Formats: sequence, structure tokens, C-alpha cells
Amino acid sequence: MLDRKIAITATGMISAAGAGYGDTASSFDLVKRNAGPVTIFDTPLAYPVFEATGLPSQYLYDHQRSLGLAMFAIDEALSAAGLRDTIMHSRTGIAMGTTVASQLNDLEFYRSYRDTGSASMEPVDRYVKGNLATAIARKLRLNGPRMTVVNACSSGTDAIGIALSWLRGGLCDIAIAGGADELSRIPLCGFGSLGLLNPGLCSPFDRDRKGLNLGEGAGVLILETLESASRRGIKPALFLRGYGSSADAYHLTAPHPEGIGLIEAIRRALFEAGINPSDVSFINAHGTGTTENDKVEGMVLAKLFGPDVKALSTKGYTGHTLGAAGGLEAAFCAMGLREGWIPASAGFENRDEDIPLTPVTARTSIEGRYALSTSLAFGGNNAAIVIERYAE
Amino acid sequence: MNILGIGTIFSGGRGVDRFKAALESGSSNVSETISKGRTLHAHRVSLDGITDGAIKKIRRADRISKMSVLAASEAMLSSGIPLSSMERPGIIVASALGAHVTTFEFLDNIIEYGDSRVSPITFSNSVHNASASYVSSVLGIHGPTISITDFAFPFQHALQLAGLWLDEGRCDYVLVGAAEEYGDVLGYACEQKLGSSAGGRITPFGFKNTRCIPGEGSAFFLLGPSPSEGAIAQVSEVSFGHDRSEETPAADLLIIDTDGMSGDESTYLNIIGKHETAASYTSLWGSMMTGSAFHCAAGALMLKEQAYYPNPVSAENSLDIKLLDTSGPAQIESIHCLKCDCSSTHASITLKKPAG
Repeated sequence: MLDRKIAITATGMISAAGAGYGDTASSFDLVKRNAGPVTIFDTPLAYPVFEATGLPSQYLYDHQRSLGLAMFAIDEALSAAGLRDTIMHSRTGIAMGTTVASQLNDLEFYRSYRDTGSASMEPVDRYVKGNLATAIARKLRLNGPRMTVVNACSSGTDAIGIALSWLRGGLCDIAIAGGADELSRIPLCGFGSLGLLNPGLCSPFDRDRKGLNLGEGAGVLILETLESASRRGIKPALFLRGYGSSADAYHLTAPHPEGIGLIEAIRRALFEAGINPSDVSFINAHGTGTTENDKVEGMVLAKLFGPDVKALSTKGYTGHTLGAAGGLEAAFCAMGLREGWIPASAGFENRDEDIPLTPVTARTSIEGRYALSTSLAFGGNNAAIVIERYAE
Repeated sequence: MNILGIGTIFSGGRGVDRFKAALESGSSNVSETISKGRTLHAHRVSLDGITDGAIKKIRRADRISKMSVLAASEAMLSSGIPLSSMERPGIIVASALGAHVTTFEFLDNIIEYGDSRVSPITFSNSVHNASASYVSSVLGIHGPTISITDFAFPFQHALQLAGLWLDEGRCDYVLVGAAEEYGDVLGYACEQKLGSSAGGRITPFGFKNTRCIPGEGSAFFLLGPSPSEGAIAQVSEVSFGHDRSEETPAADLLIIDTDGMSGDESTYLNIIGKHETAASYTSLWGSMMTGSAFHCAAGALMLKEQAYYPNPVSAENSLDIKLLDTSGPAQIESIHCLKCDCSSTHASITLKKPAG
């Protein structure tokens, strides 16, 4: 099964870096960091966030912002793949990672129940109907497998890996895979309580990093068997070549100090791709800007790929988009391979002596074929994928 | 793939022995609570008096995580396969509602103390994959660990993914489970939406008016490739569709997941064959969106022991479904576990007697 090549025939993306491929590439090129105060809900917390302000009004669904973000990215990807009007006729699966969209965390619903013993059932109905993968499958009339992955911050990467298994196993011919998450007051309070939020802009891998900024967005890949792409007359240039996932089995919120789970996840992804670390052209690291994540991740990446590997974190442009991060960063990897360059790792200025890795500090040309994207998550989950650009 | 170990915790107690005892006796345990002036009925799990090492390791975990760890630990232990002999075990945990009680506790924090004074421990435990994380850390499992959520077929999706992982060699064993917890908000929502406050027992063959009594608990399975020595049952297929007529031939028993959680469950009537013998045991553990995991455990145990468990509730069978009306020793080759959603999609788990 592992030798079955799976193509990436399109990407879709929305975040604070831009609504769509072109806007995002432009932000990356100009190192634009579109952060600001929270505007989409009320909170006394003053941490800067990365809101996806470019979400068009037709995607502003009532109390279902994550679904709207997802549908924007999916519509972009389906259009780019030439599948917008025909997707319902194919055997298509949907695997989406999320965090916020998986919980009944409607504060007004709960406050009403708590204070009066009764509450409108509308939020409950919306929650049940709003399971991300199910809601998307219903909207697009998809008839393949569906799965909403709730693996915290690695959800998007894991969703892509699950879709890879579906396609290799013959469960579907096409899969839409990635993640979506809206900015929400609940994780803002939660990450704040853990002391992980930066009062300024995040600076992944920097010596003086002070934490992460929350963001929101959605990123998806259209994955397709070669047979399906061929039937449609598509000659793919990008491929999803490997996925690895491993648990630290160590702590609920902190990574293993030696990164044992991350090492295993990366090794598995490289094994499935049939490549060596030296074949990897660049790495889109998880790089949240927190003390522990960046220290462990930087150490692992330097150990496996050497200190001179081209690496970056795109969270300086998007903030940490939680369940969307893996989907967005996979799409950014595809963009880097396709365009032949990766942006500066925004926010990085000073090397940390504890991190034997220096991310790229300017727009950097890419010449090789393979990119790696990594995700680390609450619960000790680690995930990695390998994307290949094949040019004859 | 084969089921090599099973672990359960439900309102009837902890462990497969208690689970089998409930299946044999048909007895259930519904408790009554008063919340916000309402009388609510539910199948509640008691964690009182459980002092295992596994629980001691996760004192700060919430109920759903503790139930998950207890069921997962038993599934591993009952398989008799030491972790040290597994090269790459994985974990998949399915839940519809996840740690919703802890989520509401976190909302209590925000309401009572404000955005900047909430509990980091409560927040950490409210994250959907906390249960799976506790399972991996308590059992020392380092393989792929995935949490999924779905309101129709969470367990079936998890089981299907486990089969793919085994087939592609991503894992040599997979610990697959489902977990659900009860809370007063859920009880209130079930009362409002499904009229669950009447009490009594679930009437699984009412279809249009199946009584819903919310439940909680966890069921886990250690799965390995086929053939496997000492297997409890074989999972020969997990399928999804709209029309069962094209599926595999009828099994010796059809177990249906009717528990009132979907409201009108008459869609089952469109796909149950006239000659199929049906049973449902949902009245033993309560209405849960992940209740299919318990039915899978019941089916696997029947295949292992070559004995039928009696239908615990045969009342209100006004539509004359052919019900299992015997119990005790029997020759059983295969069992279908069937669940329908409200849009007439169904998922079927086909269990077979293990080879050899």
C-alpha cells in the first residue's frame, strides 16, 4: 500500500496572511504580519491575535465561523483542481482537523442554563449539525468516508495522514483534507491561563521568544489517486509521499524534553516517502514561539537534518491556528515547492544558544524536491508529512 | 483484523465480567438525579472505590479520561499480549461529545472568575484528545494516537481506520475505543429534544418512539492482524451505505443500535430484512452516540463463547421484528452490528467467529 503514490492536485487557504493563494504569497513575500487586537468577540484580554479578516461575507455563517473558513479554503481548492461542479460525482472523502468546532462551548447557551435552568436548543442543534467533516460532506454532497480529527494542534496534519490511508486503501479516489479553526474566546482564555500567550508578536525560535499568538484560518489539500487524476486529464506535479505520527506518552501539555515522539513521527514520514533527511529541501516547522516547543523542535530538527537545514515557521504570519495549522502549513509547503521559494521566518531575530538551528531570515530559494511539515500538539501528539514536487 | 482484548466500564460496573453478567441477566442500572429542579434519569458510571495504579497516575484527569484509561488498560491486559512484544501499537479514541462536562466547568471558570483567572488544568482536560493522551501515557504507548469526533458513526469510523493502519503496516496492534460521559446539561438537552425524563428502560424496538435514557462509559478493543492466536472475534468488515440488500449475506444475529438518541429511528425498518433475527442491548448501558462500541463488545463475546445473550427488552415490538428469543449455547458464525443515522445512512460491523 505504501508505494501507491497520491497526488496533491490543489490547495486552498485562508488566514491572517491572506484569503487565498495569491494574497498569502504576497504577504509572505512582503513579510506582512496582520495581527491586532481581538475584534470578533468581547474579551478583556489584550493579547494580539491573527484574525482572518479577508473572509468574504458569503462565508460568514451564523455561529459557524470555522465552517465558513473551511468552505472558503475548500472552494478555492476545488476550483483550482477543476472539481467545483463535479466533486459530488466522485468517490470523495473529507478529513478535517479542528478544535473549536468540536466543542459545545457556547457561553451564552451555558450561562442561560446555569442561571435559569433552561436554554434555547438552537446552539445544541447547531453543534450537532456542525460537526466539521459531516457539515462539509452535507454541503458538497460527498459520498466517501468522513472524519473530524480532534488531535489538538496536530489535527490538520493528522487529518491529511488519515486521508492518505483512505486513498492508499482504496476507500475513495479523491480526498479533501486539512483543518479549520476559528478564533475563540475559550482557547484564548485557556492558553492565557497556561502562560503561553505572547503580549507582543510571536517570534518563533528566537532567543527572546515570549509565547504564541492565536490565529484562525483553514488550509486544505485536494488529494487524489493517480488513476483519478489521469481520468480527469491532470498530470500532477505535487505528491503526498509520507505521513508519520507518534505519541510522547509523557505530559498533557508539554513536549517530551528529548522530542522522542517527534523524532519517530519524522522518521516514519521519511520512511514512507523512501527518502533520507538529506533529501529534504526545507521544513515548515510547527514553531509556535513558546519556550518549550521551539527548544525541543529546534533540537530535533537540527539533530535529524543538521543545523543548516532550511527551516521556517509560518506562525509569524498566521498565528497559531490550532486545528487548522497542519492544513495551512501543508498548503504552504506545497506553495514553497511550487513557487521555488520560502518566506522569511517572521519574528526571528536572535539565535538562541539552546536551539542549534537558525530559521531562514529572508525570502529563500528552494531547489530540491521534498518538503517536510511538522506538528506538535497538546496531549503529546506529533505528526509529520512529506510533500514532493516532481518535475520531469 | 481480530479482536484480541476487550475492556469495558459502564453503569453496570467495571470490567468485562460485569459486562457479561449484565448481558446474561438483562439487568440495568438507571440512576435518578435532581438538577435545576428537574428529575433526570441516566445510566451513570461509579468510579468510587477504584484505586488501581492506572487511576492513581491520573488523579487530576476528568471522568471521561478515567473511564477511557480503565477500559483501555483492561483491553490490553485481557489480551495477554505484553506491550514489550508490540513494535508499533497505535491508539484511536472516538467520542461524540468528548469532555463536555469539563468544557462547561471551564465556562464556569470564565463566568465566575473572568477571562484571565481560569484554571489551566481544567482547560487542558477539556481538550478533546486529553483522554487519548492519558491512555498513551498511562499505558506507555508511543505509536500514532488519534482522537476523532462524529455524531453518527464515531466508533465505526475509528474501527475502519484501525483496519487501514494494520493493513498498511502503520501499526502492528491498535487500541480502539469509544468514550462518552454524562452531565446535567446533556441530561437537560436529551429531556428537551428527546423526552428522556420519563425514566424506565430504553425500548429499542419502538423505533418511532424509542425511549432515550442517556448513558456513559467506555469500551476499548485491542485489535491485531488476522490470523491471531487467542482472538475473541474477527472484524471482517466495516461498511457504510444506504442499501443493505447488496451487502454480505445475513448473519446469525443482527444487533441494532436503537437507543432513542436519534429521535425517530424508523429508518431501521427500511433496512432490516424480514428474516433477520434481531437483538438490542442498549437498555443495559444507556443511550450514547458511541454505544455501538458496547454492541461490538457484546457481539464479540457471543462469538467467543458461542452463546446468545437474551434480549433484555422485547416489549413494544409492535412492528413484529423477528427478535432473538433464545439464550445460551448456540452455533454462531457471524453477527452484524448495525447503526442507522437519521438520514438513512447506515454503518455495519461484521463480526465473525475467529479462525481456528
